[in-house]
Amino acid sequence: MITTVREERLAVVSDVHLGNPLFRARRPFVEFLEFALVNEMAVCINGDGVDILQASVGRLTRELSDCAKYFVKFGQRNLPIYYTVGNHDLALEHFLDDWGIVRCAPFLDVLSGDKRIRVEHGHLYDEMFVHYPRTFGVMVLLGGFALRIHPAIFHAFKHFNTALIWLGRTRWSSTTMGVGDDAERLVKKIPGEQPVYIRAAQEIIARGYDAVIMGHTHRSGMIDLGGGAYYFNTGAWDQSPQFAQITNGEIALLPVLGAAVRGKWSKARGSWMRVAAVDDDA
Amino acid sequence: MNPYYHVESYKDGDVIVREGDDSRELYVVQSGEVVVTGSANGSAPETLGRGDYFGEMSLFQALPRDATAVAKGPTKLLVLEPGSLLLKLRRDPTFAFSMLNRMSGRIRDLEEQLAKTPDVGR
Repeated sequence: MITTVREERLAVVSDVHLGNPLFRARRPFVEFLEFALVNEMAVCINGDGVDILQASVGRLTRELSDCAKYFVKFGQRNLPIYYTVGNHDLALEHFLDDWGIVRCAPFLDVLSGDKRIRVEHGHLYDEMFVHYPRTFGVMVLLGGFALRIHPAIFHAFKHFNTALIWLGRTRWSSTTMGVGDDAERLVKKIPGEQPVYIRAAQEIIARGYDAVIMGHTHRSGMIDLGGGAYYFNTGAWDQSPQFAQITNGEIALLPVLGAAVRGKWSKARGSWMRVAAVDDDA
Repeated sequence: MNPYYHVESYKDGDVIVREGDDSRELYVVQSGEVVVTGSANGSAPETLGRGDYFGEMSLFQALPRDATAVAKGPTKLLVLEPGSLLLKLRRDPTFAFSMLNRMSGRIRDLEEQLAKTPDVGR
């Protein structure tokens, strides 16, 4: 199992959720893979690339089939594809190994230029995931069922889940390990982000890293942690797909060009229709 | 600020720990380099860089240091007391993975060295 790699050109994405009907990210993801191939970049799918918990097998198979062709091209050009496991694809922990084309790892320590960059999904720091793993798993599964019935039911379920999380936080807030730190202040730079991920990044950076790239929270952005260290979150692919481009140690958050994907509920068909997509020629 | 660990700075040539010391801290290289030399088995000096750690044997087994560690160039070390290790692992769980991975590599290296010395154990 390889966790330390040297890559001077690496593109990191997270939360693509292939197979999830809410995301429908197949087309922009294929565009992203094409971009990486053309620019000779290795790729890291930083968790929740495939949505095992909330996908239908049929949709997952359809969405993966296009991607598989690109994976082969990556192999032919000796461009690695790294896959760090998240929570919606947690079962892939059984595949933590080097599979030739795809290298599956729990996290990656990327050496690029003179920088040392940690890439991991971030679910290990999710308070709900840590304190109530079974409840967390059940809620995700129930959300998947709600999604299949109707997107509106799923969104109502999400609000219920958010209320549960808030209740949980009031219970475990006295035992959280944040110690009057500056994470509460720093986290405001990414709206909706939770301080626990900033604290986790600070812990990791204290062990000799220059940057931490996470996903999981579906909140993209960058935070300067001071001392030349940064926290990046690559967000999710249900709204505006982004990726972190690492070039000789320098990191930039960039949009996946031509892939502004938005889902909008169509009353006529009762399913998500993509609107405002670029290159809608398929 | 984290009260359960602190950061120490060293200049080139500073001795961080000396063989035979009774200290039990674990050190993680935050920046710079550290050269570790042990006399127990005559092994070559090992240079540790960012993210590497040393001192774990004294921390886990409460035994005197079996090597001397010297800073190479300006160096900053994250210092963990024995009582802080579990808290560190709770807040930074992948650190445990990294430690196990490295220890696994060390065991493999030792086994290879042992295999090359046919008189050992007889």
